[in-house]
Amino acid sequence: MTRLIEVPTQFDDRSFDQFAAAYAQAADGGGERLLFDAHAAEWASPYGLVGLLAAGEAATRKGERPLLTAPANPDVVSYWARAGFFREAADLFEVHGKVPKAKVATESEVLLPVTPVRAAEDVHGVVSTIQQRASAILSSELGLDPKATMGFAMALSESCQNIVEHAGTGGWVAVQAYNWRRKLARRVVVIAVADAGVGFRHSLESTQAKRFGERWGDAAALEAALIQGVSRFRDPGRGQGLAGIRRYLARWEGKVAIRSGTARIAIVPRWDDEVPLKEGLPAFPGSQVLLIIPEQVSEKAGGSSKQ
Amino acid sequence: MIPHIMVHAVLQQAVAGFYTDLVTRPTGRAVRENIERDLPPGTIAVMDFTGVGCLDYSCADEIVAKLVRDKVKVLLLRGLTEAHREAIEPVLAGAGLAVLCERADGGLEGLGASEPAPALLDELIERRLAARIPGGSIRLTAA
Repeated sequence: MTRLIEVPTQFDDRSFDQFAAAYAQAADGGGERLLFDAHAAEWASPYGLVGLLAAGEAATRKGERPLLTAPANPDVVSYWARAGFFREAADLFEVHGKVPKAKVATESEVLLPVTPVRAAEDVHGVVSTIQQRASAILSSELGLDPKATMGFAMALSESCQNIVEHAGTGGWVAVQAYNWRRKLARRVVVIAVADAGVGFRHSLESTQAKRFGERWGDAAALEAALIQGVSRFRDPGRGQGLAGIRRYLARWEGKVAIRSGTARIAIVPRWDDEVPLKEGLPAFPGSQVLLIIPEQVSEKAGGSSKQ
Repeated sequence: MIPHIMVHAVLQQAVAGFYTDLVTRPTGRAVRENIERDLPPGTIAVMDFTGVGCLDYSCADEIVAKLVRDKVKVLLLRGLTEAHREAIEPVLAGAGLAVLCERADGGLEGLGASEPAPALLDELIERRLAARIPGGSIRLTAA
């Protein structure tokens, strides 16, 4: 018997909990084969794509290699291919449907196609690629100071290192720029990083659980990592990465959200209405990190942020 | 004689693959260990970042903060870009550490926590490695 997991038609961080709920329910079914059904998908953000790969890896670890029905819409499936999704999915899923042999994109909005992160060398590759490709987009399209490109690469590096240092397994990163009409009516650059590893609670448990006592859980672990800057390592210089990401995003009025286990924490800029900490979400393996940097709009131009 | 460390060259020696970016803890650790091998404890050293691309917080901690904490008496950085400074400054400040850095005009200034920086400048002046010039700024005399 096969258990069905529907991939939301608009698959991004907002619909991810719906996907996680379907995954948690299906994965509870005692080793039955999972079918991820994306045939009706109309759009997926980088967060959706890397999250789907994480689900695929977790399902593969649990039992039989899962099935994936590719999006039926030729434009959508083509975009997923150009975003590098199917290149990675081929190792995790038995893919059904018509998948074009599209070259992974060199188009401007895919700043970094879905890229595996398993070791420090992968992070070097990601940082090198993003510096070559992101500079023009960040300055000309998003209105960021050209010097901000390096900070962007630093934030990306630290996000990826969370996988290498803490997940206990590999993961994926993707970076895209697009018009975010629905939410912000501005262009944004989105970094999405996901893994199906041990998650923040497990990673920090040995050093932090006692300190938090009964409060200890996924939410407390995320709070410790993102707000208090603690790390599982006792080395005094640890915990710099997320603090650095926060500083960078604060400067550009960006957003960071991290989902791990059953909780999600976010540093919420004024253009967003997400709650800073949400608990009791459907359980999902590993950690999923989302960074959003919006186009900078001057007050004079009627926008909500300063250049 | 003050040891000069060309960070980009050390990076090429320390890790396999041609990298110009100082990112990730393992890379930082490899670079620092390579530097430490030739550096006597308690020394004064110049680290030149010319040619280094991206420097992330992890590498800033693994290389600069750990050398200052455990190995050198005074660390003088040169060839820093603004982005390098942005990575190094909060890492040092958070640990209560400081280094000196050489501006493009040759003047020296503290980077990191504000308390330890004056003592670092005094140390260089005392050893006649730096001197105050008319106008008040401090520059290296040697190196």
